[in-house]
Amino acid sequence: MAEAGRHGGIPPVAISNTTTRVNRTGSWKYIRPVYQDRVAPCNAGCPVGIDIEGYMNLLREGRDDEAMDLLLRENPMPAVTGRVCDHPCETHCNRRFFDEPVSIHAVERMLGDRILERDMPTPVTALRPESIGIVGSGPAGLACGYHLARLGYRATVYEAASEAGGMLRLGIPEYRLPRDILDAQIERIRAEGVEIRCGVRVGPDVPWGELARYDAVFVASGAHQGRSTGMEGEDSDGVRSGLHFLKQVNAGGRPDVGGRVVVVGGGNTAIDCARTARRLGAEVLVLYRRTRAEMPAIDEEILEAEREGIDFEFLAAPNAVAEGNGRLRGVECIRMVLGEPDDSGRRRPVPTEEGQFTVIADTILTAIGEITDLGFLPPDVHQDRWQIVVDELGATNTPVVFAGGDVTDSERTVAHALGDGKRAALGIDRFLRSTAGDPVPAVDPERYCFGPEGNISMTRWRDDDPLRRTSPVNRVVEFEDMNPDHFQHADRHPDHHLGDVQTLAGFDEVNQGLTRDEAGEEALRCMNCGVCNQCELCLIFCPDMAVSRSEDGWGFVIDMDYCKGCGVCAAECPRGAMVMTREGL
Amino acid sequence: MKKVIEGNHAVSWGVKLARAEVISAYPITPQTQIVERLSEMCADGSLDARYIHVESEHSAMAACIGASAAGARTFTATSSQGLALMHELLHWAALGRHPVVLADVNRAMGPGWNIWTDQNDSLSQRDTGWIQFYCETNQEVLDTTIMGFKLAETVDLPVMVVLDAFFLSHTAAPVDIPDQELVDGFLPRREARYKLDGEDPHAFGALVKPDAYMEMRLQQQEAMERAQGVLADIEAEWEQLTGRRYTALEEYRTEGADLILVTSSTITSTAREVIDARRAAGETVGLVKAKMFRPLPTERLRAVLAGVPRVAVLDRNVSPGHGGIFAEEIRSALYDVPPDDRPTLFGYVVGLGGRDVTPPVIEEIIDGTRAAERPERQDLWVGVAP
Amino acid sequence: MSQVMIKDSIPQEEHLASGHLACAGCAAPIAMKLALKALGDDTMVILPACCWSIIAGPWPQSSLKVPLYHTAFETAAATASGVKAALEMRGNRHTTVMAWAGDGGTLDIGIQALSGAAERNEDIIHCCYDNEAYMNTGVQRSSGTPWGAWTTTSPREHPKSQPKKDILSIMAAHRIPYAATTSVAHPVDLMEKMKKAKEIRGTRFIHILAPCPPGWKTESDETIDLARHAVRARIFPLMEVEDGSRWRFTVDHPGEPVEPYIRRQGRFRHLSDEDISRIQAEVDARWAVLERRVQYGT
Repeated sequence: MAEAGRHGGIPPVAISNTTTRVNRTGSWKYIRPVYQDRVAPCNAGCPVGIDIEGYMNLLREGRDDEAMDLLLRENPMPAVTGRVCDHPCETHCNRRFFDEPVSIHAVERMLGDRILERDMPTPVTALRPESIGIVGSGPAGLACGYHLARLGYRATVYEAASEAGGMLRLGIPEYRLPRDILDAQIERIRAEGVEIRCGVRVGPDVPWGELARYDAVFVASGAHQGRSTGMEGEDSDGVRSGLHFLKQVNAGGRPDVGGRVVVVGGGNTAIDCARTARRLGAEVLVLYRRTRAEMPAIDEEILEAEREGIDFEFLAAPNAVAEGNGRLRGVECIRMVLGEPDDSGRRRPVPTEEGQFTVIADTILTAIGEITDLGFLPPDVHQDRWQIVVDELGATNTPVVFAGGDVTDSERTVAHALGDGKRAALGIDRFLRSTAGDPVPAVDPERYCFGPEGNISMTRWRDDDPLRRTSPVNRVVEFEDMNPDHFQHADRHPDHHLGDVQTLAGFDEVNQGLTRDEAGEEALRCMNCGVCNQCELCLIFCPDMAVSRSEDGWGFVIDMDYCKGCGVCAAECPRGAMVMTREGL
Repeated sequence: MKKVIEGNHAVSWGVKLARAEVISAYPITPQTQIVERLSEMCADGSLDARYIHVESEHSAMAACIGASAAGARTFTATSSQGLALMHELLHWAALGRHPVVLADVNRAMGPGWNIWTDQNDSLSQRDTGWIQFYCETNQEVLDTTIMGFKLAETVDLPVMVVLDAFFLSHTAAPVDIPDQELVDGFLPRREARYKLDGEDPHAFGALVKPDAYMEMRLQQQEAMERAQGVLADIEAEWEQLTGRRYTALEEYRTEGADLILVTSSTITSTAREVIDARRAAGETVGLVKAKMFRPLPTERLRAVLAGVPRVAVLDRNVSPGHGGIFAEEIRSALYDVPPDDRPTLFGYVVGLGGRDVTPPVIEEIIDGTRAAERPERQDLWVGVAP
Repeated sequence: MSQVMIKDSIPQEEHLASGHLACAGCAAPIAMKLALKALGDDTMVILPACCWSIIAGPWPQSSLKVPLYHTAFETAAATASGVKAALEMRGNRHTTVMAWAGDGGTLDIGIQALSGAAERNEDIIHCCYDNEAYMNTGVQRSSGTPWGAWTTTSPREHPKSQPKKDILSIMAAHRIPYAATTSVAHPVDLMEKMKKAKEIRGTRFIHILAPCPPGWKTESDETIDLARHAVRARIFPLMEVEDGSRWRFTVDHPGEPVEPYIRRQGRFRHLSDEDISRIQAEVDARWAVLERRVQYGT
């Protein structure tokens, strides 16, 4: 009906001939969405520097081998940490605000055990000409050697004891860490190219000067001397160092501790002593000078101890050994109250005048902490209160000497030791590369550290992240940044445990972890906090069709010509991986 | 085939022969036989169409618009209040350029309730953009219905076929019903120029801004103008096929007339009788039947009426505050005739609400028109108690 | 599974173009986009006067990639009936004809045509995207406006004093084969209902809660959350009704208190604690009715 060329080409009826894409409605906005991966709280809370969120995401996608690989990049011994780490990751897990934290340790343990069952390929790295000597085969020393080996170095570990593992072997009872697991884990580390020489004590056996042939030395000899309680009669026969007791039992000894054992202390060593003594048939009482809430031991361990029938006496400090007929009869205690907080932030126990009492004991095990023995070190390596002073990458004031773990002012956990070893490996790598005039992978610490504690990521250091990231920022994602409405409640799987009778009958592993299916379900509970996992809700909810999948199949593109800046995408992002920023900034 | 049928059924037959595909209507006296018969035809399969039994005239027209937009031949019928209710959508159909055909049985508007014939319902829709035909006989109703579809679909404008309540709608008369093949040849299946089409998706009827609205209205106006020529061709073709001749403006015995009556609808038939009698008595009176009200055949009106001293327009309608609507329109059309040739126009309002317009009424009009120098007023009410 | 990955159940193809003229954060285009993803491109949309008349773009634009007919305010279901009849007459029985109207074009001015179409059981889908007032004309009350809400014609001093019209029950009372409520915060629910509707012949009615940032006086990024909140608080339960008699809830409704939902919206800012208690009581009473329907049918 229209005559062409007339009426300005306007048709007789309002029939469309184009789409609304001619309207650049993006000009309306004053804020714009940005994809921004943040740091998951579990990762931020992991002193080892594991990309927990990353491997959980891979597991969710069924990419189990890649998950194991990602784990091994940061943690040399997941089968160990899955059992004995106090898992601060779970303490930080945002899911605790939703229902319960993900059972990260159980997933890690499952992956760790699967790794031990198979031949995981060792990453091929260009070999470096330098070699490094490491003092101590505890978690710090092994981690340092492991990561150095993966960086292409020859690492040789000197271990005074007859077997490698340090405190993992000497201090941690078998019922927590079966020896076959520990052996297999150390064997894997050896297989990665780390040489471990056991029964060689630096100092007496190998003079410090002999280590000078190494291009760098990492000192991680740990803290093995029990601290004195200061109680009267501490030298009595029935009073023993808890750590010494544990070493004896862990080495296969079954000492006679009598019918009643009192353990002094509230840390993991104290609980280990108590539970070990219980297995030797004793009635056990733990004396702790603060309350249950202040106990530094892993909570599950305390619960296990209680379940095993161990008694606790809180706000009680040993004052003097009570003897009779030339042998130990018990310990006189002072009742304490909690006063002002001390340097650690915990309330300081203060003795009271009244309330002295005596508890009966055949053996007293003291476990109030250990101190280092650094007699082998040359005096020019700077120490402070029996601890080696190091910088953020484990370097001492002496150029080639690095240190980590319990010899430094580090928290005395397996996780921190592993983190320290890795930290020093990175420091040594950077030092040796700089010395050799080779390029250093990443200069800016922001490139290889993450989280408020500056956890170390080897993946970032090596810049070979198998996972795609979108403008990552070093900011931990809070639960408030997330949108919990997109998650469904799912109960946390509790670990399986041996039955009571079986538990006390010997040293079988008490915590049986989860079945593989259960661990897999735990991995699915992960909310992937702060990291885009391609769930696509941004695209699905965008009212303006401004979000589309990237052409390369990963991530999303926002067409700013059409994004009106409404913020629905960022508000609906379940995991806080999008933010709205002011237009033009 | 000759059948004696009511005017309403003549509409139904026209719709059937035109093979309307979608019919949507709401019953109202005096239109009901149209939709009853069409319902039967749809039900018995003699007409292959979807009959949508809507809940109102408004929805009837909306459904017709939807069906027409989707490419179908569509039909509805109504009357009076029903047509008024459709008013908004009469605009929509016209501006959407949907060739819907509507049969309106002229009926007076209430209140008070009045079911008898009166043109005010359809003439109120003057400016909606519909072509309007006022029919005189049942035969013309049938023929105009069929021609109406062809005209509507040729110029993409909706067509209203108007017939008087009862005088046609309920009055049986012999009607020649053409063969289906004849109609099929005359009126092929509709091929819409623009339609809703999944293969070629477009939006219709979006917001049109001032920068384009006038061009669309102008094209509507041009289509109206074009409709007159197209109609002439259609009438000629129809005459060739059926021998029946219709025209937008029919002259009856106007040769040498010094007074011409202008009528529409069934009043025309009565007027023919009076004209015949007067001519037999030697009086030079003539008659013009105004069939097409929109588009108004302005040029033809001027050609036919220029130089005739007196013209009397009979309106079965009134625009309150002004006068008879046909009279107004014709008066306006003749304004451009040079003063010497411009007739004196007498506008008579007659037959409202179905009041009979009998031969004596028309005689009175002729005599009154002759007697007066000029009309006393522009609306001369005849047959009404003073 | 912690997060249900809904992307796998949502087709990638878009039938709606960017650059449409909805306000930032408007739920109406989200509703359309999801609806068309479910229905596919063999769909025709009949659009009466509503916000979407603008969203679809002025001539010569269209934001839809399927045929679209703009029709008069009160005619959505009737026009759709005509389109469907014409398609069938031309041998096309496959195309889905969807009337897409706001609360005005459904609950108010459009209800006659809708009721007529439903009574005839026309083979159409009528969707109501409900933003709970006449938003396109600048926030005037409709029968979809909830009790207590401010609009420009129910000012703060005299907010709306009647409850929201229960259109689902009205439609169910027509005994149409399928009637359902859904929300833009529930894409899978919305799409499943659309898909189910597509496979049913006869009149299908889908009522979609579509929050309106300017009309509800909320932030543009709250749209989805508001819809979700309304469902969780049982203010807008997600249901389906088959043949007018088989009522079913389709998602969990935890029954969170209504107060936070009310308090976060500027249109309710003037309400007192007593007012909100009243709303809560009405929601609870209505919920009890719905539970009985689910249990016993109508």
